[in-house]
Amino acid sequence: MIGLYRPGTSVLHRMPTGLKLVCFIGASLAIATTTTSLWQVISALTFVMTGYACAGLSARVLASQVVAARWIILFMLAPQLLFLPAIDAVTNTARVALIVILAALFTLTTRIPDLLDATERACAPFRRFGIRPEAVALVLALTITSIPVIAGFAATIRDAQRARGIPPHRLSFAVPLLIMSLKHADDLADAVSARGIEP
Amino acid sequence: MFKQAAWDVRDTTRVAAFAALIAVLGLPGAVPVFGGAVPITLQTLGVMLAGTILGPWRGAAAILTFEALVLFGLPIVSGGRGGAGMFVGPSAGYLLGWIFGVVVIGAIASVGSERPRWWRTAVACVTGGILVVYAFGIPIQALVTRLPLVETALTSTVFLPGDLVKAVLATVITLTLWRAYPRAFSRGTNPKHPVDTDVTA
Repeated sequence: MIGLYRPGTSVLHRMPTGLKLVCFIGASLAIATTTTSLWQVISALTFVMTGYACAGLSARVLASQVVAARWIILFMLAPQLLFLPAIDAVTNTARVALIVILAALFTLTTRIPDLLDATERACAPFRRFGIRPEAVALVLALTITSIPVIAGFAATIRDAQRARGIPPHRLSFAVPLLIMSLKHADDLADAVSARGIEP
Repeated sequence: MFKQAAWDVRDTTRVAAFAALIAVLGLPGAVPVFGGAVPITLQTLGVMLAGTILGPWRGAAAILTFEALVLFGLPIVSGGRGGAGMFVGPSAGYLLGWIFGVVVIGAIASVGSERPRWWRTAVACVTGGILVVYAFGIPIQALVTRLPLVETALTSTVFLPGDLVKAVLATVITLTLWRAYPRAFSRGTNPKHPVDTDVTA
């Protein structure tokens, strides 16, 4: 399982995760609330491009994020053009695409272990409501390790059904996948208990 | 109706496994849907099943876990999407709606007895999985895209037939799972539903 993270040593890469998230939320809100005219779109575009340059990311990485946002652009532009004047449709679509591409920069410059640590720290104030930060971190880590396991179950079921000549059918696929996933959860629970971890 | 046994290890790992399962439903090519020809997402089906199988709170924990990993940048939303961009784009409201939707699904599906009934499960999936999700999704989409609410609602109706099919599928799968593996529905160490029951006997 490969995340979107791109390694680097820039200011953005070294910034503390919590502070970085606050900065990105602020920048996204600023673009969301102020960008209404075409020149504001251009200044927002310059800002986003500067951000990518500051992170030491190449134009190719930026381009791949534009490609990743293609469905948002397409699904937004079509109804907007239908219901709104063309200039508004383009401005709205550009604004949303820019915010999405800016938000991607946060993910591109933050390592998953740092995000897990930051989440654990952010959960500390909720201890009084019965949420234990260690348990949250454990669930996140178990989920990351379970994704390839459950993807493997899906492949196994598909192969088994193909071998028996059963055409792929949603119901005959979903039920064994659910059972295997829940049994995997019970195995994990035994493994966690055996190691004396109190989640 | 929200009274459940204390959280134990098994619940923690089930939440993790379900979050992972929803992620796998979004991996391209992992699950066959109409031969992979139509880019339809099965993840909303996973959300409905989280509610009917795990119940309201464990279901919500599974959705929150899945969404945290989306934020962390794992490409696990259908079409290989992921990252913080998902939470600022037009689909942000739907992701928020999933959290509240799964609580409603779990609450309606487990009202009365824990044994799923088809009509109660179907009502739960349509109410929580469609109405609640759209109630958050459409206004936030209108806010983000600045397309008026009515027009946004109109464009969202293209997803309605698919979501209704998923509600039917979720109901059928939930009832089949109850017959095949009732242990799936056991909540924690609740003495009424001992987790060690051998269902194959």
